Amino acid sequence: MSTPSRLSLTQAPPISVPLRFFFTAPFFGILAALVQINAGPDAVSQWTPTTLAITHLLTLGYISMVMIGAMSQILPVVAGSPLPRPLLVSSVVHTLLTLGVLALASGLLFGRGEAVLIAMFLLGAGLTVFIGAAAYSLILANADNATVSGMRVAIVALAITVVFGLRVAAEHVLHLDLPIAKSWTHAHLTWGFIGWVGILVISVAYEVVPMFQMTPKYPQWMQRWMTKMILVGLLFWTSVYLLAIIDSTIWNILTLLLSFYLAIGLSVFAGVTLYLQSQRQRRIADLTLKFWRLAMVSLLLCTSLWVVGQFWPSLGNWRNIGYLNGMLFIFGFAVSVIIGMLYKIIPFLVWLHLQRQNTRRIKLPNMKEIIPEQRIRWHFVLHLMLLPLLAGVAIKPVWFVYPAATLFGISSLLLLFNIFTALRIYQGYYTSM
Amino acid sequence: MKQELVLDVSDLPPPEPLEKVLEATETLASGQYIRMLHRQEPFPLYDVLGDIGFKHLTRVGQKTSFEIFIWRNSDEAAELAVFTTIGGA
Repeated sequence: MSTPSRLSLTQAPPISVPLRFFFTAPFFGILAALVQINAGPDAVSQWTPTTLAITHLLTLGYISMVMIGAMSQILPVVAGSPLPRPLLVSSVVHTLLTLGVLALASGLLFGRGEAVLIAMFLLGAGLTVFIGAAAYSLILANADNATVSGMRVAIVALAITVVFGLRVAAEHVLHLDLPIAKSWTHAHLTWGFIGWVGILVISVAYEVVPMFQMTPKYPQWMQRWMTKMILVGLLFWTSVYLLAIIDSTIWNILTLLLSFYLAIGLSVFAGVTLYLQSQRQRRIADLTLKFWRLAMVSLLLCTSLWVVGQFWPSLGNWRNIGYLNGMLFIFGFAVSVIIGMLYKIIPFLVWLHLQRQNTRRIKLPNMKEIIPEQRIRWHFVLHLMLLPLLAGVAIKPVWFVYPAATLFGISSLLLLFNIFTALRIYQGYYTSM
Repeated sequence: MKQELVLDVSDLPPPEPLEKVLEATETLASGQYIRMLHRQEPFPLYDVLGDIGFKHLTRVGQKTSFEIFIWRNSDEAAELAVFTTIGGA
């Protein structure tokens, strides 16, 4: 577990493999903002088809899009095992995922069952190809560190999320009206949030937090057990939750205990990360560190709010508690980590690929010139302002939904512009080499 | 002119060591080499050095965990200086 990973670049994929995913994500962010602006406050308090469309534009179009792109880059470097046929696999996955999210969102927004059906095929196929390719690479991985074993768990969780998602979508298309419907939806989002997003971030954190933020390493017990313990917790929770064969009092207590267990797991991760960051060798707080800190504080807020809600019925039964928790997880936790990492990864990839092709040794820009730090700072400020606005949406949707959606739209536009700037620099130098 | 260019990157977070050392390779005059002081082995750097026509040699360091010597492929004087340093130390 503690062996230093032998990061290798020789197997790194072409730059277009991760960048196609990174470049597409902000478009979905902008689209989600536009749909929210058009829908107004009605899409906040209940699970309407519009809410579902916005949620999937964010979770699949933005979050998973970046996470899949990042995995295709990280697998060869951290696991020493690239995706098979990276260019072909990434083209197929990217195309199917992009079209699938568009079909799903439009099917939900315009009430077209056939579009949802098409989305099921596109997303099912695209994500299956990715899961298959990533599983192949992770099985062959010669490095056996906590990041690799965590990614294996995350891929299992993604597969389960997809199966549950397809089950829920089938119900939507076929208009099955079974009492189990809500349970499947809940299982789908729990596996997606805690299993896929949560476990992948934890696995990647083991590698990137000590490395980029110069912190001490995560404790051994945590690296060894945490992702597996969360997986076991999720499996138990799902069996109890979906089977519901036991007496309802015991069922209530068991699901509550298992949910506590999962909330504690995520809180320990956030708490340990914040502690490690406070112990870092370098006192200067760079922007990646700030994004990560914001993510960990949001995750702690999210789990604390949920736990307090279980003991304090007036909070637990508040109609917008689910919305607030979801926003803290999606924007506060996942999107913060993603933006922070993108601003670290993209300038590095552009710079590195240019360096490696620069056999004539022409003068290249340094990393800080590829995406100017000032613009990353603006993005951090915009993103930081977004979080209280989203809390405002939960409290008073009519007042806050438009400013919050507009701000996220602007934030995504800035991300798009920054990625575009980096791509133009890459192309400009590449053609002159 | 000093033959040895010492570059201590042991307290820099990645990818700054990579950036700093590649900047330094651009300033190397004939006969000069870099002695890079680092807390870990910079495996990604080795790939890049190979691509851009540099050789390297790594040993356990005295002040830091690792010392990486870097010189141009074609620079025999620098190579000799590296081997003399390593042999003498």
